[in-house]
Amino acid sequence: MTSRGGVRQALLRLIAVQGVWSNERMHGVGMAWAAQPLLEDLGGFDPQRLAEARVRSAEPFNCHPHLAGVALGAEVRAEFDGVPGTQIARLRLTLGGPLGALGDQFFWAGLVPLLAAAALALTAVGLGPWPVLGFVVIYNGIRIAVARWSLRVGLEHGTAVGAAMQTSWLPGAAAGIGPWAGLAMGLAVPLVGRWLLVERPVIDVGATVAVAVVTVAGAWRLRARLSPIRLALVLVAGVLLVRLGAG
Amino acid sequence: MLPDWSAGTLAALLGWGTLVGLDLVSVPQGMLARPLVAGTMTGLLVGDLETGLRLGALIELFALDVMPVGASRYPDFGPPTVAVVAGAAGLPGSWHEMLGLWGALGLALAGVGAWSLVWLRQLNATAIRRAGAALLAGERTAPGRLQRGGLARDAGRSLGLTAIGLVAAAGLRAMPTLDLPTGAALTVVLVGAGIGAALHGAIRSAATTGRLQRLAVGLVFGAVIAGFA
Repeated sequence: MTSRGGVRQALLRLIAVQGVWSNERMHGVGMAWAAQPLLEDLGGFDPQRLAEARVRSAEPFNCHPHLAGVALGAEVRAEFDGVPGTQIARLRLTLGGPLGALGDQFFWAGLVPLLAAAALALTAVGLGPWPVLGFVVIYNGIRIAVARWSLRVGLEHGTAVGAAMQTSWLPGAAAGIGPWAGLAMGLAVPLVGRWLLVERPVIDVGATVAVAVVTVAGAWRLRARLSPIRLALVLVAGVLLVRLGAG
Repeated sequence: MLPDWSAGTLAALLGWGTLVGLDLVSVPQGMLARPLVAGTMTGLLVGDLETGLRLGALIELFALDVMPVGASRYPDFGPPTVAVVAGAAGLPGSWHEMLGLWGALGLALAGVGAWSLVWLRQLNATAIRRAGAALLAGERTAPGRLQRGGLARDAGRSLGLTAIGLVAAAGLRAMPTLDLPTGAALTVVLVGAGIGAALHGAIRSAATTGRLQRLAVGLVFGAVIAGFA
């Protein structure tokens, strides 16, 4: 079916799947670009099907970018299996949501805060830039492994990829990584606070805790209007006005 | 005091800022855009690792509250972190005088970055609409052409954001320094708000009580270690 070179090229292109992200097609065009090397072989025995597959592959699509390979592989496999076009369009539609949710849970709400918080904590205790390097290397190692696995699962299972994903390691890992991310963030926050406020009087530490409490409460109550960044900038402006006015 | 960036350093900063900006959404999404990573590398580039680590860590606390999901509008912290680390590098005075002020500039620039992402998506949408007929016809070269255009636009956006950030940083550096109590008050505000942002992000993304429990355990252990360190 698909050549090894085609798979390699598709994997490389998936790294830039959001290269032309828009609110209308989301990463539909990126998917079409990544699908090309895999679909080329289809032209050898069905040029008409190849033309239709190219159009389908550029239709609007959204999911977590690191799991886009699942949908891409499944779609390409379905094209080679001669599955009707309407069914392939439906497959694409039904995969986006679950892949987005799983990817967000595993990567954005799990792995990223876990590794970032661990790097912050280790930097704060004096390990210098090495934890930061470790963060980048470990994250990309996992991300590349998941991308390869995603494309392989999609290509192997085609239209049955949904069931294959459900029984894979990913849902369990996505649910399991969250508490560890929470632990790492809890550990990092006091360590980073102490590192950034080293040698400050106790009153500054008390004021820092008070600002932190106000930020959490304010952001929780007024999330849509007052993000922590806006709140911080308002407080900074207030301090500057008071201090420079007094001066 | 204006920064004394050589042409080579300036080119490296603009190049690194562009790469960092591209990393956020377009390519390669390898966490180079995280403030801690962008700041550390910038610190190494300008020969002041400590500034890179501390400013990167401070802005990272705010980034931990942000989920870069799909069509939502989120700040771009990467190029601003590059700019503020480059601007603050090698300044005389203690941490407590300048961390808050420079961190605040980074956050304000990250807001500009959020708008620049909205414009980028609009430009991408226009380009895709223009190529609509080619996509509908299944033209082989259309997706590649659009991809290259999108990447070039994002590179331009990232370069522009880095350049604006560097100009702002040079301007702030040229201004008279704040007195110690004012600078220290700003640092307290930014560190407090950063801690609040990270905790808010952790609580918001805690879908289970297990995660909240671990967060509490981590806070206790972290406080104990911080107390002994």
